[in-house]
Amino acid sequence: MDTEVDAIVIGAGPAGLAVAGCLSHQGAQAIVLEAENEVGARWRSHYDRLHLHTARDLSALPHVAWPSGVPTYPSRQHVVDYLERCAENVPDIRLGHRVTRVSEVDDGFEVAATSGARELTLRAASVVVASGYNRVPHRPRFAGEEVFAGEVVHSRAYRNGRAYLGKRALVVGAGNSGAEIALDLFEHGAVPSLLIRSPIHVMPRDFLGVPSQYSSLRLAKLPTKVADRAALAVSQLVYGDLRPHQIRRPKEGAITQMETRGRIPLVDVGTIELIRQKKITVVPSGIARFTERGIVCDNGDSHSFDLVVLATGYRAELAAFIVDAPPLLDARGYPRTHGASCPERPGLYFVGFRNPSTGALHDIAREAKRVAKSVAKTIATSGRRGEGARGRA
Amino acid sequence: MGEPSQGELRHWHAVLLSRELKDAPRAVTVCGRELVVFRVGETVGALVDRCPHRGARLSDGKVHLDQLVCPYHGWKWKADGSGRSPGNPVARPCVERFDAVERDGAIYVKRDGSEVAFPAVDVSGYHHVHSFRVDVAAPLEVTLDNFTEVEHTGEIHAVLGYDTDRMDEVVSTVTSTDDAIRVHNIGPQKPMPWALRKLIRLPDDPRFIDDWTTRFSPVHVVYDQYWLDEAGERSPDHLRAVVFFNPKGPKVTELMVRLYSGQPPWGRYGVNALLWPVLGALGRYEAELDKRLIESLADKSPVLRGNQLGRFDKALIGARNRIAKIYRGYD
Repeated sequence: MDTEVDAIVIGAGPAGLAVAGCLSHQGAQAIVLEAENEVGARWRSHYDRLHLHTARDLSALPHVAWPSGVPTYPSRQHVVDYLERCAENVPDIRLGHRVTRVSEVDDGFEVAATSGARELTLRAASVVVASGYNRVPHRPRFAGEEVFAGEVVHSRAYRNGRAYLGKRALVVGAGNSGAEIALDLFEHGAVPSLLIRSPIHVMPRDFLGVPSQYSSLRLAKLPTKVADRAALAVSQLVYGDLRPHQIRRPKEGAITQMETRGRIPLVDVGTIELIRQKKITVVPSGIARFTERGIVCDNGDSHSFDLVVLATGYRAELAAFIVDAPPLLDARGYPRTHGASCPERPGLYFVGFRNPSTGALHDIAREAKRVAKSVAKTIATSGRRGEGARGRA
Repeated sequence: MGEPSQGELRHWHAVLLSRELKDAPRAVTVCGRELVVFRVGETVGALVDRCPHRGARLSDGKVHLDQLVCPYHGWKWKADGSGRSPGNPVARPCVERFDAVERDGAIYVKRDGSEVAFPAVDVSGYHHVHSFRVDVAAPLEVTLDNFTEVEHTGEIHAVLGYDTDRMDEVVSTVTSTDDAIRVHNIGPQKPMPWALRKLIRLPDDPRFIDDWTTRFSPVHVVYDQYWLDEAGERSPDHLRAVVFFNPKGPKVTELMVRLYSGQPPWGRYGVNALLWPVLGALGRYEAELDKRLIESLADKSPVLRGNQLGRFDKALIGARNRIAKIYRGYD
């Protein structure tokens, strides 16, 4: 017989731990399946320099306070330690269990997973997918990559720039990781360039010494057009016109872009200061092809590099393990429904697939509470609650 | 120990605070070299502070557009070191230039083209309280010694330190790697004025932790300072201090001190903001006390041989070796 529980949570990152923490707080039986052998695996493997871009007091998960001594922006290691603390509140985390299939069955869902050579199947009325915004690296391929004599790495594999002293490096992609990796390369004595192909909005992490997240939370309550104007005013005040540095601003406002396309502005932690001082060079055109020594851009310019870091982002790749996923997903492959049971598939929940300006962890904390409440309600009404995990596990 | 030379200038040195550099150029002395630092639009330039024409100080000149104009004959210098002489339009004079960058509220310079890592300090999420520079009339090694040992804190310091009478209770742990020395100290906090104790929310009989790491490219120390109560819980306030040690010459070392708080100024409904000036003044006062003590030493020789060293002095020897090897570049 398959193991049957109240709820299955897929993923033991911030979102999974937050939901599971809330569920166990409510006395629900939940099993957390984590593909890696540790909780918070993504946060463990991110580059060393990373900090939360949001203030710790607005980034706490439910029922777990940040410990004393953690600064306003917790470091990567602080976050890992914090997630371990969160995991202490979750009784049943199965590490090394990779979910291969989530399918709908008569009275709920069936979740298949592998643990080493072992395969197992579990059943639950509620399944919470918290496999992460950053599950699978998006790695574009370029013409001529095989002739390039230098090194090409995805930002997922980048830890720090220690090995690149004096090297000419190109970071492709001006998202938050790309911009910070360029900064990290400068700090390690490399000569970095940053490829910024499309117009981007840039927002300072702090404005007048206060985290921008505080103002974002206020802006989020305003009409989009007004919020766009306010965001533009801040960016203008802090950075002025960045066009001389080959950074163009999109016509569409920052908040509109976030709401309609899920595109978040670049949260600057010092990269722009270095671009202005010409310590980081902006390459304003996409890669047409690689050559032995570097790249040729779409605009015909060629540049020499020893290292190319692809900060080209991640995909959630939910269709890889959710049977018949497309109706649940938007054009970018992210879930349509957040923090509530999917109307198309009652009992299936998604948490942690948004990255709003008000902070991903802030969002996760709110959504986790809503989801846990909803799951608890299902348990109460269905009365299916047995003695918890039974049978073959 | 050799004389400071251009060799040391291959490391990034923090020479000025951003707020000190306005429109006018500024003269700085570092590693025995006299430099002029100036702003050109959004960038910072650094040249040798001597016009190669007739030896005038460029720091007495002024910046016009993207050029520094010599006050003597009006020769014009760009940040890349190329020059123009108004009287000899075909001439292509040049002057020695240095790399310069502005980061975290300070201006750093190094020798042109040297391949070296930037002394990045993690102050992400810490809140800047106060920064200052102070000269100490002593060699680099002797100045650093004072800043990397806690035995003196009971006698010399006003607030941040250990109780001299209970110095035997202080546990000092040294861990080293090739390029860093970390010293972790824990012991009874020396008595502190009641009002200050309340302001920084210290428990009764707190244990003071002074945990620092010294790195040598260039020589700088990052201090973490906080307190524990009897149960081992951390008190909410904590400080991170960054001190750069710049030898101006063989007998004078300049300190650049940057103080940060782990608590935000808006915390406790803004009470923290009131604490800032107190912490800033305190940091300055403690550095002044250290300076007076170091300058009064009978023996300012950087050589340790012949001194009777104690258990708190272990890190000093490690630092000597790394200064020679990493900072000065001797084998």
